[in-house]
Amino acid sequence: MKITSHRFLTTALLSPAILILAVSFLVPLGRLVLISFSSPKGLFYAYSQLFEDEIFATVFLNTTTIAIVVTLLAVVIAYPVAFALTKVSKGWHAILLACVLLPLWISVLVRTFAWMVLLERNGPVNTLLVSSGILEKPISLLFNHASVGIGMLHVLLPYAVLPMYAALVQIEPNLLRASEGLGASRTTTFLKVLLPLSLKGIATAATFTFLLSLGFFVTPALLGGASSLTLSMLIDSFVSDRLNWPLASAASVILLVAALLVVAISKRFIALTSFARVHQ
Amino acid sequence: MNGRFTLNIFVALVAAFLVFPILAIVPVAFSAQSFIRLPPESWSLRWWGAFFQDASWKLTLVTSLKIATLTTCVSVLAGTAAAFGISRCSPRSRTLLTGLFLGPVMVPTIVLAVAMYSMGRATGMVGTITALVIAHTMLALPFVILNVAVSLDSLDQRFILAASGLGAGSVRIFRTVTFPLVSPGIVGGGIFAFVTSFDEVVLSIFLSGPNVKTLPVRIWEEIRLEYTPVVAVGATLMLLLALIAATMNRISKNK
Repeated sequence: MKITSHRFLTTALLSPAILILAVSFLVPLGRLVLISFSSPKGLFYAYSQLFEDEIFATVFLNTTTIAIVVTLLAVVIAYPVAFALTKVSKGWHAILLACVLLPLWISVLVRTFAWMVLLERNGPVNTLLVSSGILEKPISLLFNHASVGIGMLHVLLPYAVLPMYAALVQIEPNLLRASEGLGASRTTTFLKVLLPLSLKGIATAATFTFLLSLGFFVTPALLGGASSLTLSMLIDSFVSDRLNWPLASAASVILLVAALLVVAISKRFIALTSFARVHQ
Repeated sequence: MNGRFTLNIFVALVAAFLVFPILAIVPVAFSAQSFIRLPPESWSLRWWGAFFQDASWKLTLVTSLKIATLTTCVSVLAGTAAAFGISRCSPRSRTLLTGLFLGPVMVPTIVLAVAMYSMGRATGMVGTITALVIAHTMLALPFVILNVAVSLDSLDQRFILAASGLGAGSVRIFRTVTFPLVSPGIVGGGIFAFVTSFDEVVLSIFLSGPNVKTLPVRIWEEIRLEYTPVVAVGATLMLLLALIAATMNRISKNK
């Protein structure tokens, strides 16, 4: 009697959230997979169409290349910031942490629009480059790989800083002092002590940024040109312009599988919950 | 010493790179010209007037606030209940449920958007408030659940034992002990849910219709069509709301 009522309450508590997840997530994704196999010309027609399509291959390669480059840059730039967060005084720590956390509250759309304003032909970045003599006359800084990279890096850096900070803050400071006290150079201490102990944080940061950059839509759509087409923009054009649902679904399933593959590989060494905990 | 100095300069530059570019939109909103240029040659409030005199812009702001409020209510209620439910499960089902609830965080947003759009078309739900609230709730739910779960985990079980030993029933324990102790987690999750909904673009682009359109979707459309400083007014309003939410979150954490 006691056990059944305990079970009943647990189920009642869980059911609203599970219901929402079912109608918004599980069923729509399941339908998407089915639609990808629903082409009138055969089960795998949409997939074979994609794999034979040169544009799809280019876009897939493009998306992965951008994701890898942005992930590498984000980790390399964010590591010193995460390290500084463990070293600075309490007051500076609060200011620096606020600089890292604040952008997370602001919509990606607003931040991308800000980069459009900054990078346009008559914008402040061009003015600065011309007046300092680096450029002879304003050039088009928008709608290329670099502008997409800058915009994405701006969005992704906080996601790279936070996990690495979480790892670095747990390292016993005496270990670094011991290493230096025993005569190791700064470089040796970094390579032999700091880096190995923060590897897990680096892996988490890289997974976050890579996973997020695979699915970027707003930033490349507004800051990129025709040559920086990403997988999400291609999926959007399959739906909105070509109205080809099997093709759009098949491309979505491929992106989904790629994302899940990244999660599955990273799950071996990082905790699943850390994906969402970064926001706190 | 020298290395330390270089590190500090580098970190300061990265911090500046993170914060200052966002502010670029604010002066544009106060421009007197009809095109977007930073810095504006002369200043005025004409685009603020244009925003608030245009019924369609105002409506998108109201729609966004409405959807964000509803999303907050639904995700806080369902998410808090789910966090309590998960805490009553065996470790095995806990892992399973956490994985399930975190699903939407790991799937690329465009995939979620296309999936929901296709489903919405089949059920005639595209362009309804309900569809947008459900979509935003899906995105906000993991954060509410995790926030509440963290407060639940850190709850000292001795308080509950003490209350029980003093003769309180389970309802009274929940009302006077458990709930007050996890409420900061609920508030934090709620603030985050509101902002998640108010900021969301990709799902909203696909699920909005001519009559139900959120502010970010209107900004997105306008950037690609007209590109006048009225876009900056909309973006400044979004920035303002995000800053208020971040401040409220800060205050609620310090209490």
